[in-house]
Amino acid sequence: MTDAVSRNPTTGWRDLRGRLLEDYGILLVVLAMILLLWALQPDYFMTAQNITNIIRQIGMNALLALGMYLVIVTAGIDLSVGSVMALAIMLLAIADTSGVPWPLVLLIGPLVGALIGIINGLGLTLLKLPHPFIMTLGTLNAVRGLCNLVTDGRPVSGISDEVRYLGTGDIPLPFGGEFAVIPVSAILLLVCYCGVAWFMRKVSLGRHIFAVGGNPQAARVSGINVNGVLVFVYAASGFFAGLAALLMAGRTGSGYPNLGIGAELDAIAAVIIGGASFFGGRGTVLGVFAGVLVMGLLRNGLNLMNISAFWQQTLIGIIIILAVWIDVLRRRARARR
Amino acid sequence: MKLKQILLASAVVLASTAGAFAADKFAVIMGNIPSANQFWAKVEQGALEKGKEMGIEVTVLGSPGGESDVAGQIALVEDQLTKGITGLALAPADPAALNPTVEKALKQGVKVVYIDRPGGVAGITYVGTDNEPAAALGGKYICDHIEKGSDVAILQGVMAIVNGSARAKGSRDALTACGMNIVAEQTAEWDNAKGQMVTENIITANPNLKALFASNDNMGMGAIEALKGAKMLDKVMVVGFDGNPEAAAAILKGEMAISIAQRPVHMGAIGVESLAKLIKGETLPPVVDTGAEIVDKSNAESYK
Repeated sequence: MTDAVSRNPTTGWRDLRGRLLEDYGILLVVLAMILLLWALQPDYFMTAQNITNIIRQIGMNALLALGMYLVIVTAGIDLSVGSVMALAIMLLAIADTSGVPWPLVLLIGPLVGALIGIINGLGLTLLKLPHPFIMTLGTLNAVRGLCNLVTDGRPVSGISDEVRYLGTGDIPLPFGGEFAVIPVSAILLLVCYCGVAWFMRKVSLGRHIFAVGGNPQAARVSGINVNGVLVFVYAASGFFAGLAALLMAGRTGSGYPNLGIGAELDAIAAVIIGGASFFGGRGTVLGVFAGVLVMGLLRNGLNLMNISAFWQQTLIGIIIILAVWIDVLRRRARARR
Repeated sequence: MKLKQILLASAVVLASTAGAFAADKFAVIMGNIPSANQFWAKVEQGALEKGKEMGIEVTVLGSPGGESDVAGQIALVEDQLTKGITGLALAPADPAALNPTVEKALKQGVKVVYIDRPGGVAGITYVGTDNEPAAALGGKYICDHIEKGSDVAILQGVMAIVNGSARAKGSRDALTACGMNIVAEQTAEWDNAKGQMVTENIITANPNLKALFASNDNMGMGAIEALKGAKMLDKVMVVGFDGNPEAAAAILKGEMAISIAQRPVHMGAIGVESLAKLIKGETLPPVVDTGAEIVDKSNAESYK
């Protein structure tokens, strides 16, 4: 391939263009959506208030999708994240309201999440359940049940300001008025996304995750600890679900057992829209973020235009199908070339 | 001189009409989309009609993910705040989780009332049914028509929501007070299919069941299906709650005994009216009871 680039400038350009489209095509979709929504809602869309709203609104799905991405790259799936998030928010709310110091409370969500993720991973590797769908379907139900048992289905309110800071804090900007702020959650997202992008490129475990997803047999033969990698990605998915719980605890000031019902499907949708392959081995962090943005912008835009919730569902469904179909076409075209 | 007076007078008239409502935009954020439940469709209808009548722009929306979609409801409220609403009538998806969002609205100078169910921010008026006495009406009806000491059951709604626990408590207290034997109190989460499933299990374990109080009509309709399937409908009295059209039809057919009707159209209308009052500077009582009444064969036709 590199030979072809050096020998023939025309194919080189075409190749580059193809690669740009493959890696950044979804960003064009995001850009187009932003311009369209701006044109449709010129009075509201590009206001500081709306932009910070969008950032806060995508926070939960952005973290869940980031964890889901790691799992999907190994050709797996984690259905339990919504329930994990709910259990994490209940436990951290109970701990916070019963006087546990706030720095410890901050750790509870991610720890609980990682722990359940490890259980998911062990079910897969130790119990050798045939597909992650089954293990995580089990924990989806079991953990949701636990989460209701913890408080008998009642919400816990009164979370302290320190714990809420990540989800609700704002860093005011020196210009632009009352709503010109950087939500603290935006910084958290930035750190998480940059961290995972770096990890997948520069750390050997990250490259092993791709290897396991691409071809587990070959990965095993080449000496990669496949089971270890699998346990790690489910633990990471749980960790990010716990972090999402912390974000929502901030946003709502309370722990409530209904958090995240169906959230796993939104996270999966964002990863798939972002171009990751359901069969593993392929997908970028930037793509995941674009997928999260596509869904967040769509919801925000339709809300602003007072369009029925049914259309949100319908359109997101159509976008999932279109995104994957375009991907199929692109790969077929490249194979022909 | 005369011209000046006329000008002044017309300016005053203009100012007073413009100052009243011309710039007002209200959002009614419900617990679900209107097509999910007749109840919300009627709240929407009441709010829109009242808005038109008062010349106020009213937007009615429900959470995309249904009754438990807290994150979706927060986003709806935030997006309406962006659009510069001056009044918000909210049916909070969770009693506490919406508090920060409501406080944000108040901070922006938006007037807020709770509709259908009270929320957690102190000092905000609740416009809706006082659920405990309303549910007690249903319990009392069972007491008056079924022999003392009989086996009865309660289908509860989502207990995390105040309405769920208030209706459970109101019905339980009334049934206990008249000496009924409550054999089951289980939640079917406001859902028709779950109501059917839970009832099937209750009647399997309690074949002598004589009456069942369902905390909403959806679950009541599910219970009727379960009882039909077990050929027990003629032996078990079903009491519903909400006065939905399908429940009214079931009452006319004799499948459901009564339903306790809330008045959702009123709820929507009075919600909008209350916001207008707040904007005019009037104060409201902590609870504006929109009332409840028994729907039986005599008046069910008007609920269809």
